[in-house]
Formats: sequence, C-alpha cells, structure tokens
Amino acid sequence: MTFEDWFRTDRLPHIYCAGCGNGTIINCTLSAVDQMGWKKDDTVFVSGIGCSSRAPGYIVTDSLHTTHGRALAFATGVKLANPVLNVVVFTGDGDLAAIGGNHFIHACRRNIDLTVVCMNNQIYGMTGGQGSPTTPWGCLSTTTPYGCAEPAFDLCELAIAAGANYVARWTSYHVKELEKAVKAGLETPGFSFIEAMTQCPTNFGRRNKFKQVADQVEYIKTHALLRAKRDRMIEQGEKVPDDFFVIGELMRRKRPAMGVKV
Amino acid sequence: MKLAIDETRCKGCNLCIKVCPYKIFKEGKRPNRRGIVVPELDRPERCANCRLQHLYGRRLCGVCELTCPDQAIHWIEEQPYEPMKVAIEY
Amino acid sequence: MTRLEFWQGNTACAEGALAAGCRFFGGYPITPSTEVAEHMAVKLPKMNGVFVQMEDEIASMAAIIGASWTGARAMTATSGPGFSLMMENIGYAAMTETPCVIVNIQRGGPSTGQPTMAAQGDMLQCRFGSHGDYSVIALCPASVQEMYELTARAFDLADRYRVPVFLMADEIVGHMRERITVPDKVGQTPRRELDRGVLPFQPDADLVPGFATFGKGYGVHVTGLTHDERGYPCATNPGVHAALVRRLVDKIENARTAIADYDIINPDAEQVFVAYGAPVRTVQQVLHDRPDGMIGFLRLRTVWPFPEHSLKMFKNAKVFFIPELNMGQIAREIERHVKVPVVSLPKLGGDLHTPPELVAALEAHR
Repeated sequence: MTFEDWFRTDRLPHIYCAGCGNGTIINCTLSAVDQMGWKKDDTVFVSGIGCSSRAPGYIVTDSLHTTHGRALAFATGVKLANPVLNVVVFTGDGDLAAIGGNHFIHACRRNIDLTVVCMNNQIYGMTGGQGSPTTPWGCLSTTTPYGCAEPAFDLCELAIAAGANYVARWTSYHVKELEKAVKAGLETPGFSFIEAMTQCPTNFGRRNKFKQVADQVEYIKTHALLRAKRDRMIEQGEKVPDDFFVIGELMRRKRPAMGVKV
Repeated sequence: MKLAIDETRCKGCNLCIKVCPYKIFKEGKRPNRRGIVVPELDRPERCANCRLQHLYGRRLCGVCELTCPDQAIHWIEEQPYEPMKVAIEY
Repeated sequence: MTRLEFWQGNTACAEGALAAGCRFFGGYPITPSTEVAEHMAVKLPKMNGVFVQMEDEIASMAAIIGASWTGARAMTATSGPGFSLMMENIGYAAMTETPCVIVNIQRGGPSTGQPTMAAQGDMLQCRFGSHGDYSVIALCPASVQEMYELTARAFDLADRYRVPVFLMADEIVGHMRERITVPDKVGQTPRRELDRGVLPFQPDADLVPGFATFGKGYGVHVTGLTHDERGYPCATNPGVHAALVRRLVDKIENARTAIADYDIINPDAEQVFVAYGAPVRTVQQVLHDRPDGMIGFLRLRTVWPFPEHSLKMFKNAKVFFIPELNMGQIAREIERHVKVPVVSLPKLGGDLHTPPELVAALEAHR
C-alpha cells in the first residue's frame, strides 16, 4: 500500500490552487498513516473549516468536516466515545489559533490521544487572504493592507505550554522530515501537534512579493532554523533573527493522556 | 519503474522542478488541453527510484511524489522490466 | 417491577438518559442544568460510559455530535446562554442528520438574565435558532416523571429521525422534587444502520437515511456543506441544496402525527387552555378546582413539530388561552392554526402563573 490508496480518487483533483502546499502535507500525513499499518475502517479524519479542512473530503476513510474552529472538540467526542478509532485532525492556522484557540489549548491540556496536523499558511486562504493570528509582522493581507501590526502566534510554543505530548514543526519543503514527524505523532499516546509551515501562493505569496510558488518555498526553506542550530546560536549569544522560525521536534514527553486505546 | 506525470491532476505549479535532487523535471513548453503547462521529464532514467526500487525493495527518494500537491507524480511499472545502461552525472 | 423514588427533575432527566442507553455526556456547568451533568459524572464512568466536561457549550455540542457518529447515544445539558452558544453546531447536527439530545433547563433571559429562575423563552430559539431552514423535535416535560420519560423518548426520536431532539424543560421542573415511578427498563429502539451498498445520505421512503457509523467500514464523509447522497460537498448546485433542505424539513414535518404527544381534556369546552412545561401545573390546579368540564385543556408534551391537528379536536372552542413563561412564543404559533381568538397569558420574572390569574383570564373572556 502507498498513501495513494488513501485518496478518494474519484474526487481528485482537489480544489486547492496550483502550488498550494496543503496537498503536500496531506501526502506526508497519509504516507505516515499508511506506514502505521492502520486499517482504513479504524481511522477517522476530522477537520474544521478552511482550505486545510477540505482535506478529509479527499480521504477514503470515515471523515468529519465540521464547523469553523471546532474540529478538536468534535474529535474529542469521537475519540472518547470510541478509543479504538485512530483520529487525525487536519486544521489550519485560522481554524486552530483564532476561532478554535480555546479548543486547542484544552485539547492539549487534556492530552487527548489525537494527532493534529496544522497547515499554517499564515493567512485565511479560503475567504480570500485576510490576516490570521499567525500572519507575520508587517506582512500584507486584505485586512492588513498597511502591514500586519499584531504579533503572530507561535503555535508550537502554545501547544508545549498547554501540555501536548508531542510537538514538532516542519515545512512543506521538508517532506521527509514532516512525514517522520507525523508518524512520530501518530505513535505517541496523547496529544501530538505537528505544525507544517506552507505556502499560499494565491493569497499570501501574491501580496508579499513571492512571484512564483518556488519563491515562497525558497523563503520558507531559508528561514527555517533547525532547533539544534537555534539552541547553539543562543548558547553562543547570537541573536536569532525575528523572521526565522524554528523547525524540528520541539517536545516529546509522557504526560498522562486521555482516550488512549487500551 | 518509470516516472509519470498524471496530466489530469497536474496544475502546473512546478514544485517538482524545485525539489527533485536529480533535476529531472523541467518547465513545460506549451499548455495542454486544460490550459496547464505540465512539466516535462528530462532523462527520467536518472531517477534513483526508477532504477533501484526493485533492487532495494523499498521506495527511494520519492520527494517529488510526496511534494506534488496535486498527487500527479507516480512511478509505473515497465513491462517487461529491461535494465538500461545509464550514464550518471555527478 | 417498578420502584418509587423522590427525585429532582434534573436527576430524573439524567436517569432517564442512562436508562435509554446514553453513554456519552459532554457538558459545561450552567445553572440551572448543572445537576444533570453532576449526576452523569457520577454514574456514567461506572456504566462504561464517558463523561467529559468540555471547555464551553460550543465544544460540548461538538463533542456529542462526534460521539454520536461513533454510534453512541450522546447528550448534553445546558441553559439559555449555553444554548445560544450551541446554535451553530445544532445547525451542523441538523445538516449532517446527527442524532443527539440537548437538554435545555430554561432560565430567564435575554443574556445572563435570571440564572435561578424559570422561563420558557427559548422555545422559538430551539426551533429557529441556527441559520438556515431545518426542523427539529422539542419535548416539554411538566413533572419529574416526565423528565425521566421524555428524556428516554428523546433518544428514540433522535435515532429514529436522525435529528437533534430538545428537552425544553424549565428551572421549575428541573429543580422540583417529587415522587417518580421508575420503570425497571426503558424500551429502546436502536438506530437503523445503513444497508451495505446504499449511499450514506440516500433516504428511505420516510426520508431518513440509514446511519453510517464510524469505524464500520462505510468510509462516509460527513460535512456541514450542502452534500449529495454520497456525502460529497456540492455547495453550488441549487437543485441539490433545495432537495436536501426540503428533505431535512419534510422528514420531521411529515412525521408530525407520529411524533406528537399531548393530552386532551374536556374536548367539548368553549374555553381552552394550551400549556406545556411548568404552566401545565397551574392549569391542572384550575381544572382541579373547577371540575365542571367547562374548561378544555390541551397539554403539549411535544411542541416542535407543532401538533396543530390537536387544536382541531376542540370543535366548540371559542377562545384559546396560552399561559407561558415568555412573551407569547407558542401563542403566536397557535394563532397560525386557529380561527378563534388566541389569548396569550405571558408571565415573566420567574414565577409561575397563579390559579387566580388564570381564572381571571377565563372570566374576562366569558
């Protein structure tokens, strides 16, 4: 089996724009799920609203495409009512960090046995490019036409502070690493949070001087800082530039978890 | 094994050109019937996975397939399988 | 064998749910419904069930919908402010045809209002609160016994029609303690599974599709978007949307008679009371004080879908009196169905109508 077998091939091609990284992240997630050897019957994909949340519709298993921001609350119900099911949540930055922020921190706190893959494109893509809680300082969007004047959320730090058992961040360029991180998340009992930084050529790149898809991918690639390197820089007293973000496995621990299959 | 791009799925984002370590993909020249410029394959026999997947019994590299946001890149079996002599550029 | 108990309405509600096979409760504390959650928190873990206190009512509603898709009978309990928060996901449950039970122990509103006082101000909200057109079922208990029985029935109705079912009680009934006869066993009609080879949202003759439980290999895609019979999003096709919404409404409205539950007392009377919930008790007192058969009484246990045919039973009716703990929400519904005058008797503030108040209304319209 390959990850291709997990797609509802009758629904492809999907609705994502050309160059959208969401498809890449779905590939990596499904590839990890496939390597787990899970049965399709025992796997459920849950999502909220947004570009990222259209993903379960293209996956052949039971899938729940819910209301905006509430994916984790729905997934909590699914997982607690039937812990035999493997529940994977697809979500986006707006879905998870803005409208679903409360559900996010509480799912982390409960440490419920879910794997959450957040496709962070730093923008509200589906509604046409409005600023999101993760839009970087100074970036342009339709609702931050003079540059985003709010500090952005660091979702991984938030997940760690709230108590998630596994936290990692990779990008849509680091596909192999992302695949491994998702697999590690799936294997970890308790709440696993994998943030995947991704490009949105239509609504983010277009307004922020990335003329080609590859330009934004290149930017993401060059501004990703491995955790070890970041730690080394701090040790040596170097300043970590503001526009860099940390990638790698950021947390792995064994806090007591809820809803783990017995 | 050989590489194939599914023209019904490809949206022409050219990400495969960026990620392939062997530079097998190159920009297409003209739009297809759906108006999409699908990348072309430049000597696809250089692909490590094409040559060595059977030998190793597992997927090698595969970055293009994982990266392709539109699930358009696959390896298909060549029947019958014929070993080919390949000049590898370093 | 039955047994006698002396229970609070909220306890009876929780016990009724447990007897009906409810094994998932997601809730958030809110006066005056909290006792339901507290009782469930004690009982469910011992019965192989799941109690989870969610972070808010939005999440509670979401969790029970998620649990319901795994095949569990799931419920939540709340009151006005929490009920308002649940509205979006109630619409989601209606759109995705998810069976679930929502208990609303109504309190005075709007906003925080009167947390410890009774009202019936959410009767229209439960029918029309979420956006878009849909139909739901709402039951109104007037005694502790009915808290038990109607909660149990709510689960059967939810599974039968695949719809959110509301138990619209009020603070008086929820916090009242009285004698209750508890049956040994409550009959349960299980949810009808989807037949193999049938599309997951393809309805039967009764317009209700079979249920594709998660984890059974149906590979169903559940979405709040307008979907076709395969469950796939189809949001820009006017025909699909119209047919779907029409079916969501018709599956309930067509079953109005089967769902209806009411008592008719003195059908030949000229003056008729219509009541549901706590005001039933005042009307019962008036009838008890005047046993001459001159006062008709339509006692509703189902309010939505409104059993309009029950009004036609009062052939000699010259006037209908509707005592409610709101500004006449159901009185307006009754006006749509009868040609004679409808007198709304609103009572706000949390107190019940007193019998003299109702008698005064009778005298005024004699």
